[in-house]
Formats: sequence, C-alpha cells, structure tokens
Amino acid sequence: MENLRWIAAAALSAYACSLAVHHTTPIDLALPFLAIAVTLLAWLSYSEVLLGVPVLVVAEIAVPDERLRLLVFGAVGATGVAIAVNVGRGFSPPPPGEGGLKPRPTLDGAPIVALIALLLLRWIPLGHVRYGRELLLLAIAAAIVFVLGRTPFAVTVAVVVSLVTTAVPLRTLAFPLAVLLIAAAARTFGMPALRLVWPSTVVLAFVMLFFPWSGIVARAFPYFLQRAAPEKPRTLVRQALAPRQGETYWVPEGATHLIVSGANVAHLRRGAILGRMEPGAVDIRIGDVADWGYARREAWHKAHNPLPRDAAGEVRDYGYEAWIDGAGRIPLPRGARLIRVTADGALPPHVSLQVEGFE
Amino acid sequence: MIAATVLALLVLPLLVLRGRTLLRYCGVDAATWLFAWILWRRLPGFDPRLAFAALAVLKLATFALFLAAGAQVRWSANRAALVAAIVYALAIPAMLGRPIDGDEPFYLLVTDSVTRDFDLDLANQYRARVAAQWERGDVVPQFGDPVGKRGEQYSRHEPFLSLLMIPGYTLAGLHGAIATIALFGVLLVRSTVRWMEDEGIGETAIRGVFPFFALAPPMLFYATRIWPEVPAAFFFVEALRGVREQRAKRWMPALLGMVLLKLRFVLVAAGVVAAARKKRALAILAVPLLVVWFATGDPLNVHTWRELVPMNPMNYLVGLCGLLVDGMSGLLFQAPFYLFAIVALLNWKTAPRGFRTGILASLLYVFYLIPRGEWFGGWAPPLRYLVFLMPVLALGIAAVWEKVPRGTLAMAAAWTAGLVTHGLAYPWRLFHEFTGENAAGEWLSSHYHTDFSRLFPSFIRLNDAAWWGLLALLLFVIRAKREVIVASALGLAVAFHVARQPGRIVHFEDAHVTHDGGRLYPEPFTVMRTAYTGGWVLEASHSATFLARQGTHTLHFITGLGATFELAGNAYSVPAGERYQTIAVRIPQTGPTTFRVLSGAINVDRLEAR
Repeated sequence: MENLRWIAAAALSAYACSLAVHHTTPIDLALPFLAIAVTLLAWLSYSEVLLGVPVLVVAEIAVPDERLRLLVFGAVGATGVAIAVNVGRGFSPPPPGEGGLKPRPTLDGAPIVALIALLLLRWIPLGHVRYGRELLLLAIAAAIVFVLGRTPFAVTVAVVVSLVTTAVPLRTLAFPLAVLLIAAAARTFGMPALRLVWPSTVVLAFVMLFFPWSGIVARAFPYFLQRAAPEKPRTLVRQALAPRQGETYWVPEGATHLIVSGANVAHLRRGAILGRMEPGAVDIRIGDVADWGYARREAWHKAHNPLPRDAAGEVRDYGYEAWIDGAGRIPLPRGARLIRVTADGALPPHVSLQVEGFE
Repeated sequence: MIAATVLALLVLPLLVLRGRTLLRYCGVDAATWLFAWILWRRLPGFDPRLAFAALAVLKLATFALFLAAGAQVRWSANRAALVAAIVYALAIPAMLGRPIDGDEPFYLLVTDSVTRDFDLDLANQYRARVAAQWERGDVVPQFGDPVGKRGEQYSRHEPFLSLLMIPGYTLAGLHGAIATIALFGVLLVRSTVRWMEDEGIGETAIRGVFPFFALAPPMLFYATRIWPEVPAAFFFVEALRGVREQRAKRWMPALLGMVLLKLRFVLVAAGVVAAARKKRALAILAVPLLVVWFATGDPLNVHTWRELVPMNPMNYLVGLCGLLVDGMSGLLFQAPFYLFAIVALLNWKTAPRGFRTGILASLLYVFYLIPRGEWFGGWAPPLRYLVFLMPVLALGIAAVWEKVPRGTLAMAAAWTAGLVTHGLAYPWRLFHEFTGENAAGEWLSSHYHTDFSRLFPSFIRLNDAAWWGLLALLLFVIRAKREVIVASALGLAVAFHVARQPGRIVHFEDAHVTHDGGRLYPEPFTVMRTAYTGGWVLEASHSATFLARQGTHTLHFITGLGATFELAGNAYSVPAGERYQTIAVRIPQTGPTTFRVLSGAINVDRLEAR
C-alpha cells in the first residue's frame, strides 16, 4: 500500500510538471521525467525531498532566463541525489556511531540512485538515446556499484565512469568494463568498501547540478569550473586560414580578444602550434583553442584537444548531446589597431585556423 | 557588508552547534560555499544583490535545519537572543538599502525634535527638511495630523517609541534608532524563548519554532525597521509572563509600555487586565489617553469613539479571512508558519496557559481590527497589526510541534526562505499599493501578459480566488506529508494553466494590462485607497491592451468629459456623467484586445464578462 502511494505520488508529480511545461528545451520537456526521479529519490531518503517537485514547477513558471532555470532544475536534481547518497536506504550501513538510516533488506538504494543519476545525465534528450548501448551501460554501472560495496563512493565511480563513456562508437564501452574489472579485482584482493561520503557527495552534486548540459560536463569537464565571461558584443569574421595563409584585420573599437578555433585539429595535443598573431609574435596553440567540433559526442573519442584555457565557444544542444565549440579567446596586443594572423606552415593541408571574430 | 555576513554565517553555528552536529554542518557549509562559488562564476549577469541575499538565506536556512534537528546543540534563551542579534545586525544594512518608508520618518522626526528642541512640535523639522538626512526630504505633515493652538505641527503617532529611540538616535542617528528596535527584537526573542520554557515546552520544539519566529517575517522585517510593533510584542510577552507568574510589578509596567506605544493596544491591555483580574490596573488604560491629550490636546488623537461601534458583519468576515489568506497581506502568503496555530487552537484545552491568555486578551483588539478599512496595515510591511501576537502564536505552535503536519511545514519553510530572500534583496517591495494584487502576481502578470493576480486570493479587492483560498487552510491540519506536497505542485501547475487563459474580469489598473499612456486612479500612495473604485485614466490617443474572452462584456467606467473609444475594432461613445456608468461591449474573439480612447477622457474600472 505504501509503495502504491509512492507510485501515485510519482504519477501526479509527473502530471503536474507536464501541465507546467511551456518552454521548449529538451530539459523543460523532460520535466515530468525529472519529477519522477525526484519522487524516487524522496522514496529512498526523506519524503521532504519531494519539495523538489513544486520547486520544479515554480522554476518552470517563474524563471524565464533559460540558463538560470535549467540550473534550478540541476540544483533540484543535485540536492536530491546528494541527500539520497548521504542518508538513503539501501546503502551499506555506515560504521557504528556514524548515524544514518538502517538499510532496507528488500531494497537496494545505491544502484537505484546511480541509475536515476545516469538516466538524468544520459537519457535527455530521449530522441538521441541508443537504447541497447545505454541499457548495457546502466547494467555495467549497477555492477560497479555492487562490486564496490554499494557505498556513496561506489555510486560516484559508477556515475562518473558511465558519464564520460560516449558509447559512440561501441568500443568506448571498454572503459567502464575495464573499471568494473579493476574494481572487481581490487575487491577480490581485499580492498575495503570505501564510503568517502563527502567527496562523493560533492562530485555527484557537481555532475548533477549541470545535468542539463551533461555532455559538456562529460567531454569538456573544466568548462563549468571556469568563470563565464559576461555577454560582450562580438564582431564576426568567420574566416578559415589554410596553412601558411595570413590575413590582416582591423581591430574593432573596444575589442580586447581575438576569437579563434581550429578545423580538423582534434588529433593534435596540447601545445601544438596552429598559427601566430602579430604584432607581439603571439603563438596560437592547442590549449588556447581547440578543434571547433571536438566536444561533439561522435567526435570526442578520437579527440586529444583539451578545453581552451579561456573557452569562448557557444554552448549548443542540451543534456548528453550538449557540446561546446572549440573557440578560445586570445588577448589582443595592447593598443593594436591592426593585427595579422597567419596559420602555421607546418600544419597538414586539410587543417585550417578559423578566425571567428573579435570580442 | 559581504565580509561581515560571511563572518557572521561562520560564527552562528559555533554559538550553538557542537560535536558531530557541528562537523556535519561544517561539511554542508563548505559544500554550499563551493557550489555558490561555482554558480557565481557561471552566472555573471545575475543580480548580485539577489544572489547574495539568496545565498545568505540558504545558509541561514541550513543552519536553522541543523539547529532544529541536530543531536548536539547547546541551547538557551541567551544563545537564541545572540543568534537573533547577529541576524538582525546583518539585516539592518539590507533594509537601509532604500530610504525608510511609511510611518518610519515620522517617528524619527519626533525623536529628532525631542533631541534637538525638547518638544513635540515638528513644524520646524518639516520646514528645515530634517528628514532629508535620511533621504526623505519629501516628508510633509500627513493629512489629519494634529495642529496646536499656536500652529504647532504634531505627529499623529504616539511619542513613546520616539522617546525610546532617543539614546540610539543620539549616538548613531538613523542606524542607532533602528538598532534600538533591533534590541527590542533581541529582548523579545529571549523573552519568548524563556516564556516557552516556563510553559513547559520541550527544547526540540523551541528549537524548531525559533527560526520561524525570530529569523522570518514578520518579526525579521519589523525588528529591523522603525515601527512600534516589535517593542509592543516584547511588552506583551513580558506582560503575559508577569500575569502567569502573578507578579504585578512585572506585568503592569510592561502593559503600560505597550499601551504607550500605540493607543490601539489599549484593547489588548484590557484583555490582559481582565485575565489578571486586577481592577486597579484598569488605570493603565487611561494613561495613553492622558499622554496623547497632553501632547496634542485631543485624548483620542486622530481616532474617534465611533470606531468602537460594531460595523457591518461582512466587514468582519472580509477582514478575518483577509488576515488569514490574502495574497498581499495574509498569513498564508506572508508568514504561513503562523497558520499552524490553527492546530493549537484545535487543541485548545491542552494548549499552554500563556497561549490561551494571549489569544483571549487579543480578541477585543482583533474584533476591532478586522472590520477596519485598512485591516491589512496600510502602507507598511505585511501583517503589521498582528506582529505583537506572533509570540503567542509561536508558543501555541511550539506546544503542538509534534502534531504540525511535516509536509506543509516543509513547504512553509521553503516559502518563508523565499520571502526572507525577497525582503532582504528588495526591501522596498515590503510595501505594496493596496490594489488587490501582490508582488508575485504582478510579476507573473507583467511577464506573461495574462491575469495571474486573479489566482491570488484578495480580500482587499475581493476576487473569485478569495473564498477558494480559504481551502488552503486545510493544508495546515492535514498530516499526509507526501500527498500535501504533490497536491501543492499539482495545484500550482493547474493554476498556471488556468492563469494563461483570459479571466472573467479585467481590471484596467492591473499589471497584466499593457498601458500606453494614462495613469493610475487613485494616484499612488493614496491613503485609504480601498475606499475608492480603482481604475486607469485614459485620455485621447491613450490605450490599454489585455487578454480578453470572446463575447459580450460590461465595461464599468466614469467620465467627466465624455469619451469615444475603440474596443476590439468597434467604436463606442459614452456621455459625461458624475457617477460610474456601464456599457455593453462586444469582443469578437478571444485574444489580446486593445482599448483605445479616440477623444475625451475616461476612467475605466473593469471589463466584466456577462
């Protein structure tokens, strides 16, 4: 009976959110799904976690700014998961004296939390889900949780490992399988079930906070730790320079940065020179900029680029399909009115340096 | 200010939390700071004032949670007072983000006059624009203020509060004056906690109630502004404690202090005296009359004996329901926690004696408050006239703490955190024109251009939601935690769905109407606005656009010049008249509709579907 009431609560929560949805992003459209996830997390921990559902509804109604609204959704998810891994039922019992709720023998909360987190992180937008691979990945994640002892740390490992696995191409699934095997071996040879509650909570909460852009968390990790630049007017140039090609540009009034990216440079490693800016002989390297599409899900497995130091790319798409283009900001020489950008002569012929514009 | 807040937020847990509870709090605290830092870096365009207030309130709420539910807490009335003192000290600069408002400058002018001139005559203060030092150079005598035989200009407000503020004002001006009120707030918190202990309330319940009482509206906002409500609450609690202990030397001076603050508290004092069964104490009731008579020449000041004559029963119903659930000034929206007092009232026989005495002593006051035109408190932060009663309600709630529905409590806590954030970030929004809308409804209406305000119960301008809003009181007695939360989410979603459809009535002054020219009627800051039929004055070429239903409607208006207007493509001419008129108009299809004045001028009140 009690479980039936929870099921009814989940259904009504989802219905409430579906009534409230009026924005068109995939994350907004997935609000009923998020409501069910919050209800499940409340079921696993405190029923007060259900408060997340009215918060979701209020945010959908009253927060017009997309970025802020999606962050509120993320905060609800993060809070729910953080509470669940801290006090949830079904986790391995804490050592004596550490408090916490007693485990329920019939329910295994840890894999459920991991699965909820992964569903939110990887199954939005639903239209892009490759069901076979994703189900396999969920199974691997659940196995990691069990092998590592159903602790908060186990959930975190399972979630993070699964998150960074693009599952495109199929062979990338080797990574979580390898982690599973290593974990199994380590446990076999006597590794204790690490709890690491606080670090695990922080990592999971961080990942969940940005679940509306989980693709970027997975494939361009430090992006959300970087300071976001305030919105500034951009003068677009959009010119691709072939190797050895140079071009001279007037610097727009008030511009402080050149925005540059690379084309077909995903295979290059940090420090590789792409070109040069004059005056000042400023080298433009991988690390300052990246391949324009390196963070796309299909491209990432063969990319070696790091996120640009001062990323200027545009956030595109949502959920696990979200990615950021590889544009980076290069500070302009002080007082320069005219600059010359030249693509490096040693670059392969199909590679180009893309001058996106000025900011 | 930021550094002081950060420091205070670090100190608060050290005052009361201990051992593992403190450690766990520190973990949560560190995580919160970390995530706040991340978000701060990711949201560069976000309003910093709101962001900082939200973070501070979030941390305060976390602290309150640990305080209420922690296993290792060192708790006493003095520590409670210390916590309140720190929070009030931080809230005062936030409140002073905008100039003082409402009655505040008038109280302060009296303080200034007594300090400098040793009199209560404010004529020279008005002439010299003394209030300009508090950025209120626009302050002039209020309509109906007492005038002396030789042209003295007195304040309508009783001078006792102004006298209490003299030491603080002398030391530190405006800040010192507000600090005096905050000090009363701190004393009130200490006194209330002690009172709860005296009444046998358990520590867990007191710790649970404390944040809602001391760190939330209305107490937080009145303890950090210049109003007599918090000192009155302190005197009231002291009086009730004195009566409980049968110590006349304690309760009589306290009661005297209370009645000297505001003449209206005589009605409460009468109740306390009756509870104490001490006829001689009735003399206290005469003291404020004598003081006011001495100060202004009229013992009733701006009041009349006629105000004691009972009014139309409907007025009582409207005022009472308004105080409970009105969107702008009711407990439901402005301090929902206190509605749990319903649970205490339902358990009257087992309620603490102090609660019963406090409620009974206040009945006469409430009886005369609710039928008044400005039962909601006029131009003041919400719940002004009920602030003195909050300690009593808090005591009642603490007594039934175990019976308080946890689902509703969680929602009340979340809403309260939102109210505190909003009030600290935008203190000027604590004041609201009494148009029948509220801040939330106005914001949503102006954003969506549909009438959201009609879904917030209003007893100031009665609407359909008003009576339905009373159903929300059930939330405060139903104990099904999960179902209540889910039902609330569903209610919000359905309300949103309904709000996006055109309403039955369009009030032309409302926020959802896009005005192209014209002005509000009556003008902003009109005293007793509720006595007027509100509207929007439009002249030739002015227009108003709103979402309307298809069909025939009745337009309510008044025009002294006559007017020709166009509505949804049809032209209408209306004659001049001294009274409000109506005309049937047709709107051919549902959607945005424009009302445009072609000639003349018209004050349009509302458009009502037939």
